[in-house]
Amino acid sequence: MSRIFGIDLGTTNSLIAFMDGSEPRVIPDPESGNCLLPSVVSISHNGVIQVGYPAIELEFAQDFDGKELNPRTPPSRPFEGVVVRSVKRYMGLGGDDLAPEDRQRYSFADLSGPVVRFNVNGRSYTPSQISAEILKALKRRAEAVMGEQVTRAVITVPAYFNDGQRQATKDAGRFAGLEVVRLLNEPTAASLAYGLQRNSEGKVAVYDFGGGTFDISLLNIKGGVFEVLATNGDTHLGGDDIDRALVDWLLSDCPELKQNRRIWSSARRIAEAAKKELSTADFTRLELDLGERHLVKDLSRDEFERIAEPIVNRTLECCRRAMDDARLTPDDIDEVVLVGGSTRTPLVRERIAEFFGRQPLCSIDPDQVVALGAAVQAGVLMGTQSDVLLLDVVPLSLGIETMGGVMERLIHRNTTIPTSATEIFTTAVDNQTHVDVHVLQGERELARDCRSLARFKLGPIEPQPAGLPRIEVTFLIDANGILNVTARDQRTGREHSVDVKPSYGLTEDEIERMLEESIELGEADIEQRLLINARNEATQILTALAKQLKDYPDLIENEERQRIEQLAAKLESSRSGEDRELINRLVEELNQLSTPFAERIMNHAINQALQRKSVEELS
Amino acid sequence: MVQCPSCARSQQPRLVCSQCGAPLAVDLDFFAALDLPRVLQTDNATLEANYYDLGRRIHPDRFATAPSEIRDASLRATALLTRAYRTLRDPVSRGLYWLELHDHKLAEDNKQVPPDLAELVFEVQEELSELRALRQHSSDEARQGLLKLRSRRANLQGLLDELYAELFQNFAAFDAGGGRDREQLFAELKTILSKIAYLKSLVRDVDNELR
Repeated sequence: MSRIFGIDLGTTNSLIAFMDGSEPRVIPDPESGNCLLPSVVSISHNGVIQVGYPAIELEFAQDFDGKELNPRTPPSRPFEGVVVRSVKRYMGLGGDDLAPEDRQRYSFADLSGPVVRFNVNGRSYTPSQISAEILKALKRRAEAVMGEQVTRAVITVPAYFNDGQRQATKDAGRFAGLEVVRLLNEPTAASLAYGLQRNSEGKVAVYDFGGGTFDISLLNIKGGVFEVLATNGDTHLGGDDIDRALVDWLLSDCPELKQNRRIWSSARRIAEAAKKELSTADFTRLELDLGERHLVKDLSRDEFERIAEPIVNRTLECCRRAMDDARLTPDDIDEVVLVGGSTRTPLVRERIAEFFGRQPLCSIDPDQVVALGAAVQAGVLMGTQSDVLLLDVVPLSLGIETMGGVMERLIHRNTTIPTSATEIFTTAVDNQTHVDVHVLQGERELARDCRSLARFKLGPIEPQPAGLPRIEVTFLIDANGILNVTARDQRTGREHSVDVKPSYGLTEDEIERMLEESIELGEADIEQRLLINARNEATQILTALAKQLKDYPDLIENEERQRIEQLAAKLESSRSGEDRELINRLVEELNQLSTPFAERIMNHAINQALQRKSVEELS
Repeated sequence: MVQCPSCARSQQPRLVCSQCGAPLAVDLDFFAALDLPRVLQTDNATLEANYYDLGRRIHPDRFATAPSEIRDASLRATALLTRAYRTLRDPVSRGLYWLELHDHKLAEDNKQVPPDLAELVFEVQEELSELRALRQHSSDEARQGLLKLRSRRANLQGLLDELYAELFQNFAAFDAGGGRDREQLFAELKTILSKIAYLKSLVRDVDNELR
C-alpha cells in the first residue's frame, strides 16, 4: 500500500508533509530548500501554467507599466495571462457568490453557473482545477524528494468549510491525480501536531493568522473527540494588511508614488521583509529604489507596533466574539495554539498572551503546524499511529426544506461524524409520482437564509393515494463531512436511486469530462513544463555570466570573451523559442565553454580570502 | 444471525465481528448498537465507555486502506453508533426514542400547549414582551423587569427539575415491569416529554432576553 501524505492547501502558502517514522516532517523543495509553496498560479494566454515563486515573478512583471524605473535592472517583458492568488477563497462558490471586487480583479467566464470559472483568453478554469495545479506542484516536489509515487493524501480545510467547499477540495485532489483519503479540519490538524488529543480533557483555542485570512477556532477535546465549540474570523484580514499599512507609512511623504503599481509592489516586498526583520531586531532600514533616487526610512519596533496594532486588535475582536458564542471566558481555555506566519510577529504573541492569560504554544513552526498535523492523521490512516483516534464533527447543521420554506434540522452542527439521519417522505396528493427534496446547510431558521446543498427527486413512485407511500431517505455524513444520500421504499424495501444535483460545485459528469480532458492535455503539459525548465536554466546561466563578465573583466582574455558572448547571444535568441532541445544543448555548450573562466573566478576568490585572512592574522 | 464478510463467521448481529473484529453493517436498534440492555435507566458510564470502545474499533480511519466493502461497513456502523450514542445520552431524546421503538410516536400534529402549562407560557411571554418594550425607553423600569425575569428564570428551572424527576420515575416504572399498565406509562411519558419540550423553549426565550 502506498504512503499517505499530509497536505496543507492554504490560502497563501501550501505544504506537503509525511510521517518519517513516528515524526511528521515537511518536504522542502529539492532545489531551493523552501518548505512553503506560495499558493499562486499563473496561466498564460497560451495555457502555460506555473505555480509558486515563478508565478509571483510573472505577477510582478504584470505590474510593469512600460517605463523602466531603473536602467540597471534588466527589462522584463509584460506577462500576458492571469495570475490567481488565494484561489481557496473561490472554492465551492457559485457565480452569484462573487463580490464586486472579485469581478474587478479577475475575469470570470460564467457568472450565473453553480461554479465560478476563471476566464483566461477564452479558456475557463474552475477553482478546483487551479487548486489542482498547486497540489500537482506539491506532488512533484514530494515525488522528487522521496523517489516514490504520491497517490494518496490527507488535505486540510478550514473548520467552517461547508459541504460544497469540501467537495471542491476533494475534486481538486482528483484533478491532481490524488486520492483524498480524508479531509481534516485545520484547527484539528494543528492540535494533532501538538498531540493535544492525548490530554484527557480540555479546551483549546487555535489562533490562525495567515497572509490573507484570520481564523479563531475553539475546540473541546475529550477522549480523542475534537468538538468545534465556535469559529470566528475574517476572510480578508491577514499579515498582508500589516504590509499594506507599512507601505502607507513608507510612502506617506510622497503619496503620488502609490499610484505607480510597480513602485507599490516593490514597496510591498520591502515592507514584508522589514516586518520579518522586526520579529527579531529592534530596528530596521527600508530602502526603496526609485531609479534616480532612493527612498530611505528607519523603522523601530515600537513604531512598527503602533502601525500594526489596529490590525492585531481586529483579530482579538474576532476572538472575543468566538468566546461569546461558545459562552466561554479566557479562564476556560487550557491551551492556545498558534498557526500561520503572521503569528511570528512578537506583538501578536504578546496580545494573545494578554487576551487568554497564558503563553501560547509555539514550539512548532506556525507555517508548518497544519501540514504536520495532516501527516499525523495520514499516519493514523495508514495504521502506523494507533495511539491516536480523532473524531471530528460536522461544522454546520444539515436539514431539509419543509412546508413554508422552513429549515428542518436533521443533523445538528457539531455532531460527531460519521453520522446519519433518516426521514420518511410521502406524497401530498393522490397518484403523485415524485417527491422533491431540497437539502440545506446552515444555522438559520428559514430555508432561504441557509445554503442550498442539493436538490433531488424521489421516484418514480407507483401511483397511490396521498400519504400512503413511505420512502425512507438516509442522509449519511462521512468522515470528511460530505453528504451521501440513499433512499428506500419502506413498503417494498426497494432501494431508490437518488440522483443528487448539487446546487454548487461540479457534477460527476463534469468531473469525468474534465479528467478526460486533462489526460489528453497531459502530454502537452509535460512538454510545456520541460520547456519552462529549460528556459529557466538558460536565464540563470545568462544572468550569472553577464554579472561575472562585468565583475571580473581582468580574468578573461578578449578572444575568450568574444566566443562566450557569441554563444550567449545565440542562447538569448533561442530562449524565447519553442525548441527545448536546442535551448538545452546551448546551455550545455555555454556551460562547458565558460567553465575555465568560472574556475579562474573561484581561484581568485579563494586567493583573496586567504590574503584577507593572512592580513587579519598579521594585525 | 449475520455473517461477517471478512471471516465468514455467523453470529448474533453486532457492530463488530466477535471473531475477527471487522465492522459489520447491520441494522440494530440503538440499545443493541451500543451493547446496552434495553432499559430506560441507562448507566451513563457504561454508555460512554461502550461508545468510545466500539468507536475506536470500527471508525473508518482504522479501515482507510481496507477493501471498499469493509470501508463501507465501517462508515455505516460508525454512523449508527454515533447516532445511537447521541440519542441515548440525553434522557429526553432517549424517552422519545423509546416511544418510537414501541410505535408510540408523539403525534406530529399535536402542537397544542400542554393544558397545565398554558397559563405559565402565556404569563412568561407577556413578561418578555413587556420587558422588550421597556428597554426601548426607561432604564430604571427595565432594570426592575430584568430582576423579575431573573427570578422567573429560577422558577422555571425549578419546574424543569421537577419534570426531570418525574421523567426518571417513569423510566424506573418502565424498567420495573409488571405492576402498572404499560399503556398508561406510555401516555404519562408522552405528557412529560411534551411539557419538557415547552418549558425548554420557554427557558431559551428567557435566556436570550437575559443575555
